[in-house]
Amino acid sequence: MMMFDIQFYSIFLQIFFMASYQLNINNQQYKAEAEPDTPLLWILREWLDLTGTKFGCGVNTCGACNVLMNGRTVRSCQVQVRSCTGINITTIEGLSADGSHPVQRAWEEMSVPQCGYCQPGQMLALTGLLNQNKQPTDEQIDAVMSQQLCRCGTYHRIEKAVKRAIELSNQ
Amino acid sequence: MQKIKISRKEFITSTSFAGSGLMLGFLLPGIKAFAQTTNEPCEFFKPNAFLKIDTKGSITIYVARQEMGQGVNTSLPMIVADEMDADWRKVKTEIAPFGSLPEGSHDTGGSQSVLTDFTSLRKAGAVAKTMLIAAAAKLWNTTPDKCAADAGEVVNTVNMQRIAYGDLVCEAAKLEVPKEVTLKSPKDFKLIGKEQRKNNLKDILTGKTKYGIDLKIPGMLYASVERCLVPGGTLVSVDDSEAMKLPGVVKVVTYKGTGAPMHVRDGVAVVAKNIWTAMKARKLLKIKWDEGTKNKQNTTALFQQMVARSQQKPTIEKFKKGDISKFATTPSNSIAAVYKAPFLAHATMEPINFIASVKDGVCEVWGGLQLPDWTVNELVKQCGLKKENIKVNLALMGGGFGRRLHFEFAIEAVKISQLVNAPVKLINNRTDDIRFDNFRPANVHRLQASWDAKGTLQTWYHHVLSTSIAVMTDGPDTKNMAENLGGADSDFYYDVPNVTTGYSHVDFNINRGWLRSVEICMNSFPIECFIDEVARKLKKDPLAYRLSLLDGRPMFMTDEGPGAMKQYPQRIANVLKLAAEKIGYSKPRKKNHFIGVATHSFIFAKSYAAHAIEIEMLGPKKFRIVKVVGAIDCGIVVNPDGLRNQMEGGIAFALQQALKGEITVVNSRVVQDGFNGFELLRYSEMPPVEIYTIESEEEPGGVGEVGLPTVAPALCNALAAAGARSRTLPIRNEGFEWV
Ligand code: FES
Ligand code: FES
Repeated sequence: MMMFDIQFYSIFLQIFFMASYQLNINNQQYKAEAEPDTPLLWILREWLDLTGTKFGCGVNTCGACNVLMNGRTVRSCQVQVRSCTGINITTIEGLSADGSHPVQRAWEEMSVPQCGYCQPGQMLALTGLLNQNKQPTDEQIDAVMSQQLCRCGTYHRIEKAVKRAIELSNQ
Repeated sequence: MQKIKISRKEFITSTSFAGSGLMLGFLLPGIKAFAQTTNEPCEFFKPNAFLKIDTKGSITIYVARQEMGQGVNTSLPMIVADEMDADWRKVKTEIAPFGSLPEGSHDTGGSQSVLTDFTSLRKAGAVAKTMLIAAAAKLWNTTPDKCAADAGEVVNTVNMQRIAYGDLVCEAAKLEVPKEVTLKSPKDFKLIGKEQRKNNLKDILTGKTKYGIDLKIPGMLYASVERCLVPGGTLVSVDDSEAMKLPGVVKVVTYKGTGAPMHVRDGVAVVAKNIWTAMKARKLLKIKWDEGTKNKQNTTALFQQMVARSQQKPTIEKFKKGDISKFATTPSNSIAAVYKAPFLAHATMEPINFIASVKDGVCEVWGGLQLPDWTVNELVKQCGLKKENIKVNLALMGGGFGRRLHFEFAIEAVKISQLVNAPVKLINNRTDDIRFDNFRPANVHRLQASWDAKGTLQTWYHHVLSTSIAVMTDGPDTKNMAENLGGADSDFYYDVPNVTTGYSHVDFNINRGWLRSVEICMNSFPIECFIDEVARKLKKDPLAYRLSLLDGRPMFMTDEGPGAMKQYPQRIANVLKLAAEKIGYSKPRKKNHFIGVATHSFIFAKSYAAHAIEIEMLGPKKFRIVKVVGAIDCGIVVNPDGLRNQMEGGIAFALQQALKGEITVVNSRVVQDGFNGFELLRYSEMPPVEIYTIESEEEPGGVGEVGLPTVAPALCNALAAAGARSRTLPIRNEGFEWV
């Protein structure tokens, strides 16, 4: 396994070089100089200081890193920066800066967060779902929201907020 | 004051001590240094270290206890603001700078914050109010008794003239801080007891909140650390040639591990210009470890050893009442049972991370620390620093649960920064975060009980066995190894004439630590299951049986002397009754529906909680949780919304432990390496929950941990009602399935 990794990376290095990427995030243009394989997660957090997108696992198991790409929920730890150009990226900072998006309003009304660390990911998971389907069934909600971890255990309130967000989105 | 936290009890005592120091402190002259130092130009009024009012009337409240999701940055300011009759909309909070308050003021753990600080925070608010009233009285040429405070203004009660706090700032700042103040009567509380949403809610929802992991320091590098998988393993050699080839890698450094209290492991740190490069380069390291001789341990054998050991006499006798040996025990008038629960991880959503910057012996650190004073003392010892040269910047935590009572990561970050002579942010990936956690101890319990011909309980025996935390933090000679609080000590709450409890430590080479509710969770599970077993064996209703041993029993002291705590069996009974009533315990049940209950006292947090859980059996070992009802008595409730959030989240946290959470070890290596192995509860698994509160004017208790201990036993008692008792957690290991 180790041998494979080493070979993989040395080949990798020969093919890819540091490059400059133009990114459209929250309707603003950003530039990032980075290795092509750098996950969008780290570009957002460490290059661009958009720290609302959270690192929870880096391996597609928690959803803390969710962003929207052309309106769909994507785990930013799983996409490399080189495949992010020409796409509209929305992070929690861009969902609405004042918290007026229906999903944020629902989360506020239901007073969901404890530590809050998972909540940007939770809200963007739901937003991505609602962007595709304004009246999701309980099964569809379960399928999406059950991929989002919250260690503080705010699921009871998330459930209430999901219902409320659907109401608000359809008003 | 050097703090070596050993047992929970000790920890609480020292925390409370610090708290009372703080209470006196703000009225003492020495503390003035932290209060207002200048009036010129007049911009604000800062009567003490807890609050500041500016000329616009906006109030900043400095919170010393640290926010990690438990809500202290809302509940603690509410206490101050209520007493000063502030307009809550004008209140904002900031983390009280480390060093601005007496040692221990920032310690955050044991559900102690509200409990410890309630009076001192009220006094801080009352001081401000008294001074603002005095300033208004002076301005109006009247006396303070003709003035009153109301929602951020002072009112002249004779002519009803009003003036805003902001307009009194300059005048108030000139006044002497009063030595004594009168506190409100609880019936006059305006904020305390009223729902308040989290202070920083909007920031959380818009992604503005900065947690420790979000902070950046100029010139900061990033570190990813490779550690030996076997605790105590030592570094033999490292070949970093491939890692160094990656552009952006600055240096690969190594350092030696340390012993007690935090057991830092030998480390190889890749330091790079960005975290991604550091993480990638780390995979290219070729390291040889010497695993030592303790590299063959596994948890299966540990449990076998603990069960075998449980049959012998406990190493330490913890509590003795009457004499259990005087009563003749036969198979027909007694039962015995063994319960087991595993090591558990904290798995905070924010993976462990820490920033340190050391230059020329001057050290500054940034991050979440639940015990910052202890951390500083250890940094002095372990990193060759001078105490006065260490500056701590506390940060918001994305979950705590006791994880950051430990601080091995702070020592690591400082060592790495020293080696590269630059600011460094250490970030553990999720695998590191799980593998190198300080785990809630594995534990085994043997209980025995016997009764007389009338079925009256005569003896109760409880032998607690665990891998003691204190043995790890303090060494094998610790006097505080026993982990018996929560009913396996002198706090045992059921009325039984002859009781013996004891403790045995069984050694295992792994880092152990305090995890939310720690030993109270460990001990409530067997006690609340076993009392149920006794009732069932005696063919009595488990709820009525418990109440027969609690109801009407007067308060008793756990000990004599300063460490003694009050135990209230009646309050334990009351929460149980409330939970049972709200779930409809006495109502007819649907087919295949079963209810289990459990109750307890979280004694050092002065709070009491019970749970009732209804399940529907779908197969011999397959079930669905229909509903969980929680009932709590925590005295005066500061923020009902925060309380409910803690109780609801506590159910999720405890259900994870009951159903599936466990850390196992094979060949001295932690098996679980992320959320796939250490699975958290998921959205679809969260049952409907209801939380009820006993109205009370008793002093406020803590709530952060109180919602956990009775969840697992209530669930297992419901399963037992259906004929499927599990004495082992998590129940998944016993073949249970849930939908
Ligand atoms: S950080 Fe991307 S899924 Fe966990
Ligand atoms: S609110 Fe803390 S992890 Fe979800």
